[in-house]
Amino acid sequence: MDLSSIKDAFDRVAKKQKLSSSKSQEVVDQVGREIEQALATIHSPHDLSSPVDQKSVLTELKFKINAIGPLQQLEGSNKELNASLSKYQKLLEKVLNPDISKAYRNVDFDTRIINQIIANHFYRQGLFDLGDSIVNEAGEPDATALRSQFLEMHQIIGAMRERNLQPALTWVSANREKLLQIGSNLELKIHRLQFVEVLQNGTRADALIYARTYLTPFASVNKDEFPKLMGCLLYAGRLESSPYSELMSPIHWEMTTEELARQFCTLLGQSYENPLSVAVAAGVEGLPTLLKLANVMAAKKQEWLEMKQLPVPVELGKEFQFHSIFVCPVSRDQASEENPPMLLPCLHVLCKQSIMKLSKNSTRTFKCPYCPAEATVSHCRQLHF
Amino acid sequence: MEMDSLPNGNHATGTPITATANPAPPPPSNLPQLTDSLKLEHQFLRVPFEHYKKTLRANHRAVEKEMSAVISGVNEAADLSPDDAVNHLNSLVSRLQGLKRKLEEGSRVEHLQAHKCRVRLDHLESADAENMSEWSNTRLKRILVDYMLRMSYYDTAVKLAESSNLQDLVDIDVFQEAKKVIDALQNQDVAPALAWCADNKSRLKKSKSKLEFQLRLQEFIELVRADNNLRAITYARKYLAPWATTHMKELQRVTATLAFKKDTECATYKVLFEAKQWDFLVDQFKQEFCKLYGMTLEPLLNIYLQAGLSALKTPYCYEDDCTKEDPLSQEAFRTLALPLPYSKQHHSKLVCYITKELMDTENPPQVLPNGYVYSTKALEEMAKKNNGRIICPRTGLVYNDTELVKAYIS
Repeated sequence: MDLSSIKDAFDRVAKKQKLSSSKSQEVVDQVGREIEQALATIHSPHDLSSPVDQKSVLTELKFKINAIGPLQQLEGSNKELNASLSKYQKLLEKVLNPDISKAYRNVDFDTRIINQIIANHFYRQGLFDLGDSIVNEAGEPDATALRSQFLEMHQIIGAMRERNLQPALTWVSANREKLLQIGSNLELKIHRLQFVEVLQNGTRADALIYARTYLTPFASVNKDEFPKLMGCLLYAGRLESSPYSELMSPIHWEMTTEELARQFCTLLGQSYENPLSVAVAAGVEGLPTLLKLANVMAAKKQEWLEMKQLPVPVELGKEFQFHSIFVCPVSRDQASEENPPMLLPCLHVLCKQSIMKLSKNSTRTFKCPYCPAEATVSHCRQLHF
Repeated sequence: MEMDSLPNGNHATGTPITATANPAPPPPSNLPQLTDSLKLEHQFLRVPFEHYKKTLRANHRAVEKEMSAVISGVNEAADLSPDDAVNHLNSLVSRLQGLKRKLEEGSRVEHLQAHKCRVRLDHLESADAENMSEWSNTRLKRILVDYMLRMSYYDTAVKLAESSNLQDLVDIDVFQEAKKVIDALQNQDVAPALAWCADNKSRLKKSKSKLEFQLRLQEFIELVRADNNLRAITYARKYLAPWATTHMKELQRVTATLAFKKDTECATYKVLFEAKQWDFLVDQFKQEFCKLYGMTLEPLLNIYLQAGLSALKTPYCYEDDCTKEDPLSQEAFRTLALPLPYSKQHHSKLVCYITKELMDTENPPQVLPNGYVYSTKALEEMAKKNNGRIICPRTGLVYNDTELVKAYIS
C-alpha cells in the first residue's frame, strides 16, 4: 500500500497550514501596525490635533487597510489550505477502503453477548479491573460467570512467576483425576521444578525426602524421567556444574506455567487462545474478500442478507483451521455424513456421490479420474478425518 | 498493490546490489495480506483528520470574523468625535492583540492534532511481519475502545487506552464532544444537540440530515405534553415551518398532536409521546456524528466479528466434539454467528485429529485399516513410543505401523 504518498500529502497539508497560520499572524500585525501608526500621527506633538487633520488621518488609515486587503489575504491562503485538505481526504478514500461496513449484515447482533465476551476477554488475560469496569458500565452482572476461575488461574500463575509453587500444587492435586484423563503429566513437572529448587537451595537430605515423598509415585509411569532426577541428587548444591544443569534453565518455568494455563483452560472447557482475538484476527483476514464480494453483490441486497453459504471461499491462515473439511475434487461438494469421503483402491479420495455417479449406481467398474486404475464400489472404503 | 510486488520482481533478476540492500525480505505471502488489512484502516486515519480540519475551519472563521469587525471599526471611526475616535482605535488595537493570542492558542491546538494524524500514519507504517502479533494486539485494543466509546462505556474506554498507552491511537477526545450531547439527550435536553447542529450546519445540510428537524419535533412534543399549546404553535411556526417543503408528512403528523393530549390512546400519536423517542434521538445523533467524522456506522468490533465468524463458520462448529480452540465452540460466539452464512471451501483442508496440525504434502494423511485418518507426524511419533504399534484414539483398535497407507487428497 502506498503509505508514503499519503504521508507526502499530509506533509503538504501541514505546510499549507503553517503558511496560512503565519499569513493570519502577518495580516493581524499589519493591520495593527497601521492603526498604531495612525494613533501615533494623531498624538504627535507638531500636529495641532485639529479635527480636520484627524479626519484625513482616519481616511488615510481606511485607505491603507483597504489596500492591504486583510480579508482577501486570509481568504487566499485559506483557499490553498482547503485545496490540500480535500486532496488528502480524496487520497485516503482512494488508497484505503472508505467504508468497511459494506460487508456488514444488519442482523441481530446481541450487545449483551458482545459485552459478556469482552468481559471474559479481560478476565482471561488477568485484567480484572477492566473486566469489572465494563461489567459495571454496561450493567451486565451476569457476565462475571468465569471471573473467579480465571482469578484462580492468574493467582496460580502469579505465584509461579515468584517461584512459589504451592498454589499450583494445590490445584493439580485437587484436579488429579481430570488431569490424568487428558493425559497430563503436569503434576510431575511441577514437582520436578520444586525438586530442583530444593536441590539448589536445601540440603541433600531435604532433596532426598522430597524425592521420596513426591517423586516416587511417578517412578512407574515415567521410566526415563525418574532415574534422571534421582541422578541429580549426587549434585545437590552444585547442580550448575553437573550433567543435569539444563534442568535449571528458566525455560522450564515458562513452559510449565504455559502448560498449566493451557490445562486449566481445558478443564474449564475454554480455549487457551483468546477466542475474541482469534475471531477478530480471522475477521481482519477475511474482511477484504467479503468487501469485494459485497461490492459485486451491491445490487442484490436481499440475496446478500439471505445467503446460507458464502458463494466464494474466504482464505484464512492455517491457525484458523479447526476442522477437517473434505471437498470432493470431482463434484466440488463438501463431504457430509450422507456424502462421506471414500478411499479408492488407488488411494485417491472422492465423495460417495461422485463414486456412485461414476459407477452408474455401483453397477459397473469405473476408472479413477486421477489415474488409470479401475475400481469397483465394493473396493472403496469410507474415511474418517 | 502493483508497487508492492516490484521489490520481489527486482529480486528475481538478482543484481547483487539489491540482494545486499535487502538481505532478508519478509515472506512474500505475508505482504499482500498485510497490505489488505491496512486498507481497512480508513477510519483510523480519517477521524483525527476530520478533527484537525474542524479546528482549522473554526480558527479561520474566528480570524475572519474578528478581522471584518476591526475593518468596519476603522470605517466607523471616521464618523466619531475626535476623542471617541481615538478611544475606538485603541480598543481596536487591543482587540487585535486579543486575536493574536487566540491565533497562537489556535495554532497550538492545530499542531497537536496534526501530530496525532502523523502518529497514526507512523503506526500503520510500523506494521511488519516481525511485530505482527504485538501490532494485532494493539489493533484489537483499538477496536475495543472504539466499541466502548460508541456504546458510551467511557470509563472503561479511558482505562483501557491509558493502561496500554493508546491515547493517540484512539478517539476519546472526539467522543467527548458526543458525550455532552448524548448525556443531555438522555436527560431530555435538546439544547446541546441543537448547538451541535448549528456548529455543523453546512455539512449536515450537504448530507441532507434531518436531525435538527427531529430535535425540533421533539421540543414541540414536549410543549404539547406540558399543555403549552400557544407556545407550541409559535414554536412550530418558527422552527418547524421551514422544513415543510421536504418533510410535510412528519410535520403534519406531529402538529396533529395539538388536537390530542399526552395521554391519547390513538396509536399513531401515542408513540410520539413515549420516552423511547429520546433513545431514538440518541441513535440518530450517533449516526450523524459518525458520518461527520468519517466513521463506520457500526462499531468496528461488530464488523470484524461478523466477518471473522462468517469466515470461520462451518457445520462442524456446532457439533459437540468441536475443538475448544475454535471460538465457535462457545455458546456466545455460536449465538452471534447464527444468522451468518457458512464459509465455503474450494479445496480440502484436513486437520489431524491428534496434533490439530494441517495435513498437507509435508505431513500427509495416513489411513488406518479402519478408515480413520491421522497425520504422518502423529502416527510416526506414536509408533516410536509403542514399538511400532498404532492405537486409533477414536476406536481403540490396535494396528501395526506397516498397515498404514497414504491417501492422496487433491
